[in-house]
Amino acid sequence: MFRERSVRIAAWICCGTLALFTVVPVLWIVATSFKTAAEINAWPPTFLPGAPTLENFTEILFHTDFPRYIFNTILVSAASTVCIMITSSIAGFVFAKYKFPFRNTIFMILLASATIPLEAYMIPVYVMVFKVHMLNTYAALIFPITIMTFGVFFMRQVIMGIPDELLEAARIDGASEIWIYLRIILNLSKSGLMAIGVFAFTQAWANFMWPLVVVSTGDMYTTELGLAVYQRAFFTEYGPIAAGAVISILPMMIVFVALRRHIMAGIATSGMKG
Amino acid sequence: MSGAIATPPLPLSARLAKSWATLKRNHIGFVICALGPVLLLFGLIRLYPIAETFRLSFYDYHITRRSSPFVGLGNYAYLFEDSPFHDALINTICFAAFAVVGTLLLALAAAVLLRSIEKAAPVLEMLFYIPVVTPWVPASVIWKWIFDPTYGALNYALSFFGIPRLGWLQDPVLILFALVVVSIWKMVGYFIVIFGVGLRAIPEELLEAADLDGATAWQKLRGIVLPLLRPIILFSVVTCTIININVFAPVYVLTASSQGAPAYDFKVLVGEIYSNGFVYYHMGYAGAQCVVLLLFVMSLLFVQFLAFREK
Repeated sequence: MFRERSVRIAAWICCGTLALFTVVPVLWIVATSFKTAAEINAWPPTFLPGAPTLENFTEILFHTDFPRYIFNTILVSAASTVCIMITSSIAGFVFAKYKFPFRNTIFMILLASATIPLEAYMIPVYVMVFKVHMLNTYAALIFPITIMTFGVFFMRQVIMGIPDELLEAARIDGASEIWIYLRIILNLSKSGLMAIGVFAFTQAWANFMWPLVVVSTGDMYTTELGLAVYQRAFFTEYGPIAAGAVISILPMMIVFVALRRHIMAGIATSGMKG
Repeated sequence: MSGAIATPPLPLSARLAKSWATLKRNHIGFVICALGPVLLLFGLIRLYPIAETFRLSFYDYHITRRSSPFVGLGNYAYLFEDSPFHDALINTICFAAFAVVGTLLLALAAAVLLRSIEKAAPVLEMLFYIPVVTPWVPASVIWKWIFDPTYGALNYALSFFGIPRLGWLQDPVLILFALVVVSIWKMVGYFIVIFGVGLRAIPEELLEAADLDGATAWQKLRGIVLPLLRPIILFSVVTCTIININVFAPVYVLTASSQGAPAYDFKVLVGEIYSNGFVYYHMGYAGAQCVVLLLFVMSLLFVQFLAFREK
């Protein structure tokens, strides 16, 4: 776009600095999680651990309830992911391939509400969960993250790309609509559905506000909530907290590194929708 | 009268039968069975709570009390007297303004500069994206340690310039700065990628034509790139503002006391909603604060909607 030599040099300097700014803090906490307590509280601070140790990880994994939090988070995120994959693909299929009254109106309402954050309407959701005596349960944690508007939008885009002739041919052979959904649509939109699944999992994993509101006992904590509460209570023990933060970041990093191409393509779609 | 022969209107029953046949041909039964449950769920966890938030805000609603008297605009009137709410509102707006301007200017500059080093761009974009996939809580934990007044890396780095230790989390102005830095760090990568998508869509010929006319890089940027990028910039401003108006997790983490030194109690809108609604259970009043947040978000979305409808 800009081939001028001065621009290229400026680009290298600015983008390099920015990359340091975004990457170093994460490396910093990874390094810190392997330091001894004495080294963490040393002045001047060191970057690389002088005597790497796993004691922070053994501390948080064997002497706290953190494994329970990890288990809770995996359970809730997996359930949320499955729900979102089902609801997104069914709704996306219907919006993409069927004509029915008010189709566009309903779809617009769905899209318009996509950006409204849960924080703004969580009180009635909480009251609902309270009225059915489900506070502090897995069901309560999963309930508000069973649908994802972006998922419906994305799956509709993907399924619109599947030719109608395929569906017609199946109907002529006597296939029911459910059979078409299960055998044709799911098969041909697999990679899109996987992308939505990954996105849903990371969102559920990073969820903080809703668990904070709806969970009241330690055995139902998620990793994010556990980490936030821990660091409020025992900030002086930064080593184990750093190890907990690394554990909470790790799955996100693995997913990101493994699927970065799909993730970048997904963002492109979400950006272009505007 | 015109010569066209008007077909006699069909009787109602025939018309109904006809539209029913159309619906049936379009598999209306399947549509209802498949979409119905999803829409029901959508209504239950999105539309109903949004509407109910507005209704609650007119009641003195308390979750464990049997009666919740209608108080009209009472909750809204109290918004004008509640000084923690005023602090929260001012803080949130200042924070969001700095964070949005900082994030988007940095993202725009980086995205434009990345286009001139096309080969390295994918790798750099990946590095910029690492904080985006880091959840807010560990991100805040990382930065809390960097901003730590006693052991923090930031104060250590500043000591080389002869600057004495600063209480980043203890000072009301410095904590705003600290939170803005965390937010920029977290979101800049996302908007670099978004702007990158917009920049790649700009036809290369336009810029080559400008080159032939002897335009400088700055002129190309002002005259061609920015105008073509306007829709994406608008989308980014709206998205980024909504994200930052909702700030809570970093505030929750960074304002907790550290090393025995209590941090400055930086109030934000969602924090007030949380403490009024879920700590004191004044849910009607918290509902009124939610309405403030909802109106913010909805007006932003409305602006975006109007702007995109023009085209």
